[in-house]
Amino acid sequence: MKTDPDVIVIGSGGGGAVIAKELGELGINTLVLEAGPWYGNKKWPEPNKTKGQAKESSDPKDLDGSLYRQQLTRLENDMNDLVTGKFRWGAADRRRTPWYRNIPDQAVLWQSAGIGGSTLHYYSNSPRAFPDAINNEWPIQYNELIPYYEKVEATLPVEFAPTTTKDALFYYGADKAGFSENRTLDVTTIGYRPQPNAILPPNEHLMDPNYSMEELSHMEGCTLSGHCGQGCPYGPSLEKMAKRTTAVSYVPLAMETGNVIFRPNTFVTKVLTAYSSSGNRQIVGVQVRDTWTGEMEEIRAKVVVMAAGCIETPRLWLNSELPYNPWVGRGLTNHYMDMVTGTFDEQTLMDIVGTPSVNPFVGHTSSARLDYPGLGMIEIIGESPGLSAQPLFGFSQHGYNLLKPTDSDIWDLEGRLVGSELEKAMNDYTRTLTLSVITDDEVLYRNRVELDSNIKDEHGAVPLVYYSPSEKSKQRREQLAKIATAILRKAGAKTVHRSDLPPNYFIHLHSTMRMGFVVDTSCEAYQVERLFIADNSVDYNALGGPNPTLTTQALATRTAKRLADKYF
Amino acid sequence: MPQANTHQYASFFGANDMGVYAYIIYALDHNIQIQRQLYQPIVPLAHPTAVMLDSAATQLVNNRQVQAFSQSLFLNGGMFSHLSREDRIRTLSALDNLSLDLYLLPSPFQNNAGLIKFVVDALNRFAMFGYYSEWPAYGTTRLNQPNNRKLEYFPLTWQKIGYPGVSFGYRAFRGFLFTMDEVEGGNENRS
Repeated sequence: MKTDPDVIVIGSGGGGAVIAKELGELGINTLVLEAGPWYGNKKWPEPNKTKGQAKESSDPKDLDGSLYRQQLTRLENDMNDLVTGKFRWGAADRRRTPWYRNIPDQAVLWQSAGIGGSTLHYYSNSPRAFPDAINNEWPIQYNELIPYYEKVEATLPVEFAPTTTKDALFYYGADKAGFSENRTLDVTTIGYRPQPNAILPPNEHLMDPNYSMEELSHMEGCTLSGHCGQGCPYGPSLEKMAKRTTAVSYVPLAMETGNVIFRPNTFVTKVLTAYSSSGNRQIVGVQVRDTWTGEMEEIRAKVVVMAAGCIETPRLWLNSELPYNPWVGRGLTNHYMDMVTGTFDEQTLMDIVGTPSVNPFVGHTSSARLDYPGLGMIEIIGESPGLSAQPLFGFSQHGYNLLKPTDSDIWDLEGRLVGSELEKAMNDYTRTLTLSVITDDEVLYRNRVELDSNIKDEHGAVPLVYYSPSEKSKQRREQLAKIATAILRKAGAKTVHRSDLPPNYFIHLHSTMRMGFVVDTSCEAYQVERLFIADNSVDYNALGGPNPTLTTQALATRTAKRLADKYF
Repeated sequence: MPQANTHQYASFFGANDMGVYAYIIYALDHNIQIQRQLYQPIVPLAHPTAVMLDSAATQLVNNRQVQAFSQSLFLNGGMFSHLSREDRIRTLSALDNLSLDLYLLPSPFQNNAGLIKFVVDALNRFAMFGYYSEWPAYGTTRLNQPNNRKLEYFPLTWQKIGYPGVSFGYRAFRGFLFTMDEVEGGNENRS
């Protein structure tokens, strides 16, 4: 007879896969439920086409690097299309629509369902939070996180990004703009550095013409292919792929423990609770729905960990009718982002970096950064053409440059580009450097995920998402956009375009189930015993600006230990 | 978005030639699915979006903010297709800014500012992604369901702007600015 798992983890992304591996190592039987498909597992050779024979997988021998490589085609439309892409927020069956979130504004919300979650498409940026954003704000201290940061950095592993042409250009510009190198993991001062990325260092033979590029793509180490956002399936085997989504790092490690089962294509629709003898609500299990067949099922466990992300975790809480808490879904932050793109001429590039083009698509997609505690950060983005054009020139709260030319003397162009303006901007693609502005935005009660009372899908009321930045967040973003532009100009950019992205651009989401409000310092819900949270939603704030994943992974590692100490 | 204007730019292939409109229609028609009692209908948005564009164009023509040509760009085209390229952008902009009578727009856009803003923005984003991604190069299989598409040629836009497409990698390594060994706490706990 099959026994109930000790712990159910909802979601296998940046947080869920980490806590599953940690629990498995502690000898705790863990079942991970994932709404999306599984790429790179022999039990689902055609994960988007058919349901497959199996329901779950726990044997590391099921993992298959060549299958992963065949499925992750590295083509941006096939992989990243928000409607039909393999990395979309939706069911494995791509004939179906994505799962709807109502965002009544200009909006992009970029999350991915699937084993690995949004780490399937993330750029692997793994900086620690700014210490000052934790100390004196969070209910825990930065020092408490350091051992967990170190453990995750060693496990993924994290290494500073190698320099390619775009980085050399960025470092040159940052230096000329008066910034200095910041050789640290714990950022307390302003400065630039390579991105600490969860990407294996380049193979030692990368520059040796005796090895073909194809051979190198089957060897261990990054080949600088620039396909981070498409999953980058390069490496000798699944668990040694260069890009360290949790699908190739923590998931295989969890399976190795022999205590963790992963079940894809399973959407959790309800967290089930009962009253304990002491009168408190406590966990009983979950109700799930098979995304292929629509079959419903209840699964029981002692402990449940929600790791479904900043939108679905509060949605699930609300759809499960868990106890009322005014902060559930509230306090959403998204780093109120912007982008500026500099275009260079050949001669300038020859003089500075010794080549006539930047080729922004070469190397880690996001490979270098300027940390600016108090404001946020600036980082390089070098995406493929469609994923560049869409946010840079097609997504803006400014409007059309053609109808409303910029009134600033800082930028040459602003907002959406059309016709010949767009053609020119994209024709210069190989000589551009794009910097993303990432703001330390303030937590506001009004910014939120709630249930849309009028619209349901097969999983219950859909999320309604609302975000508008504070005045202080707007000022910080403005300052960062000017600094990013100054770096581009100092590097020799001839023209600079500012996107002026709309506020509802969700790449980094945090703080919808905040520590100190919804969960305690062990990330256990105040109002439901044995219910833990292990995703970005527990963040007290937006970390000062740094990318959220590493902090979530460190917290998940810490939560596993506390959970095990308390209940097992 | 770049559009076909083969008279002026004989060598240029526009979004129209490449069928990007079909991509946008597919994306609009496969965006939203909701539960209605016992079944889950898809909410197709392409047709109401087209009606919305014509309705908005008519308002701007009536207010003399834009001027309509007597001929449409295609047979039986609505008011939007009687406008110049710049006036079509003006119409999108008016919708974006909600600066027209939202009551006159068709369902589900009537007095629905959030959905208008979402869809008008999506028109722009979809046009960019349809045109600059590999989508047009799926050729005759473009409109197949996503698992049954095949690249039939190298994407023309990629060729034009110098993107080499799927790559095994690049010999572009210029060294490290610094490594984990060179920062405090970087590699101390690693085996």
